[in-house]
Amino acid sequence: MTQVETHLTEEERQAFADDSMSPEQRSSAEAHLAACESCAHDVARLTTLMKRIHETPAPTAPLDELWPTIRARIEQSKVVPLAAGAGTGDGGRGAGEPVHRAIVGRRARWFASIGVLAAAAILAIVVQMRSPANRAAAISGADTNEAAFIAVVDSAHAYEAEAKVLLDKLELQRAMLRPDAAKALEHDLHVVDVAIAELKDAVARDPNNPALRQLLATSYRQKVDLLKRITNAS
Amino acid sequence: MNARVRGSTDVLATVNDAGGIDDVVRRAQQGDVEAFESLYRTHAAAIYALCRRMTDDEREARDLVQDVFVRAWERLTSFRGQSSLGTWLHRLGVNVVLERIRSTKRDAARLIEGDDSTFGSHSSAPAIDASIDLDAALVHLPAGARTVFVLHDMEGYSHDEIALMTGIAAGTARAQLWRARRALMRLLER
Repeated sequence: MTQVETHLTEEERQAFADDSMSPEQRSSAEAHLAACESCAHDVARLTTLMKRIHETPAPTAPLDELWPTIRARIEQSKVVPLAAGAGTGDGGRGAGEPVHRAIVGRRARWFASIGVLAAAAILAIVVQMRSPANRAAAISGADTNEAAFIAVVDSAHAYEAEAKVLLDKLELQRAMLRPDAAKALEHDLHVVDVAIAELKDAVARDPNNPALRQLLATSYRQKVDLLKRITNAS
Repeated sequence: MNARVRGSTDVLATVNDAGGIDDVVRRAQQGDVEAFESLYRTHAAAIYALCRRMTDDEREARDLVQDVFVRAWERLTSFRGQSSLGTWLHRLGVNVVLERIRSTKRDAARLIEGDDSTFGSHSSAPAIDASIDLDAALVHLPAGARTVFVLHDMEGYSHDEIALMTGIAAGTARAQLWRARRALMRLLER
C-alpha cells in the first residue's frame, strides 16, 4: 500500500475519510497518501465531504404546533388505560396499558371460558335428551314448558337489548382500534354468539332444563361483561 | 450507533442515574398525557431532523413526526429502559419512516435492491445550483442511497444496524453509502 503503483482501494479511501480505520491501517494509508498525489487528492475530497456532513446543522422546524394534533390522535386512538376495577381479575396489568393489548391479552381466557360453556351445553343437551324421565316430563308438561320458554325469551331479550346498546357504543370505538385488535374482538364476539345461538336452540327444545338456562344466562352475562369492559376502557 | 445520534440522545437520556426509567417516562407509560407531552417537547427536534432528512418533503416530515409520537405512545409500555428513551424513539422513528417509504415511494424497491443504475456517474447527476447545501443535495439521491447515507453518516447507525432495519445486506449498505458519498461529493463541488 505504500507503493505508489498500488493505489488505495475504495474501501480504504472511504474508511480513511470517515476515520473508521484501525491505527495500523491508518498509518499505512498515510504513508501511501504522502507519496501518491492521485489518492491524496481523492481522499482529501472525501474528507472535505465528511467534514461538511458533520458541520451541517440538523434541520429544524416549529414543532410545538404539532402537539395538539398528536394529542388529539392519541385521544382518538383510544390507547387508553383500562378503568381501575373493571373486573378483569388482572391485577398485574399496568393502568396505562392500551386497550387493544388488553383485549388481545384476554383472548385466551375468553376462549377457554366459551369453550367450557359450549362443551357443557352440548353435554347437558345430550344428557337431557337421553333421560326418559325428562323426556316424559317434557311431553306431559307442555304448558309449564311454554311458560318457562317465555321467561327465558324475555330474559334473553333483556340481555340482548343491553348487549345491543353496548355494541352500538362499541361501534364508534371499534374504528379506533388497531386492525389486529378489532379482528380479534370480532372473532371473540363471533365465538360467544355461536355459543349463545346453540344454547338458545337447546333451551328452546328443553326450556325447563335449569342447567341449560343457567349456561345461557352465563353466556349472555359474559358477552355483556366483555362489551362493558371494552367500552368502559375508553 | 456512533457520532451524532449517540451524542444527542445521551443528552436527552431518560434513564435515570440508578439505571431505572425516568419518572416522566414512567408517568407517560401509565397514561399521563402531560408527561408524554414533556417527552415530545424534549425529543421532537431530533425526530424531525431524522424524518426531514430521510424524506424530501417538509410536510411529509411533519406528518411522520406525528406518526412517530403516536406510535411511541402506543408502544411506550414496551420501553424497559435498556437504552435511553431518545435512542428508543429514534429507532422507532426510523422504522416509521422506512414503513412510509416502502408503502409510498415509487422507487421503494431501491431500498432493497442495489440501485446501481441511477447514480454514480457525472452524467446522471442533476444540474443544480453551485450553492447547493447538503440537505438540498440529498434530494437528488435515490431513496435507497439516501436512506443508508442518512442513517450512517448523519444519524450514526452502523452498517449492521442499517442492514437489520432495512433488510438489505450490510455489504450492500456499505456499497450504497460509498456511492452516495461520491454522488454528493460531485454535487457539492459543482
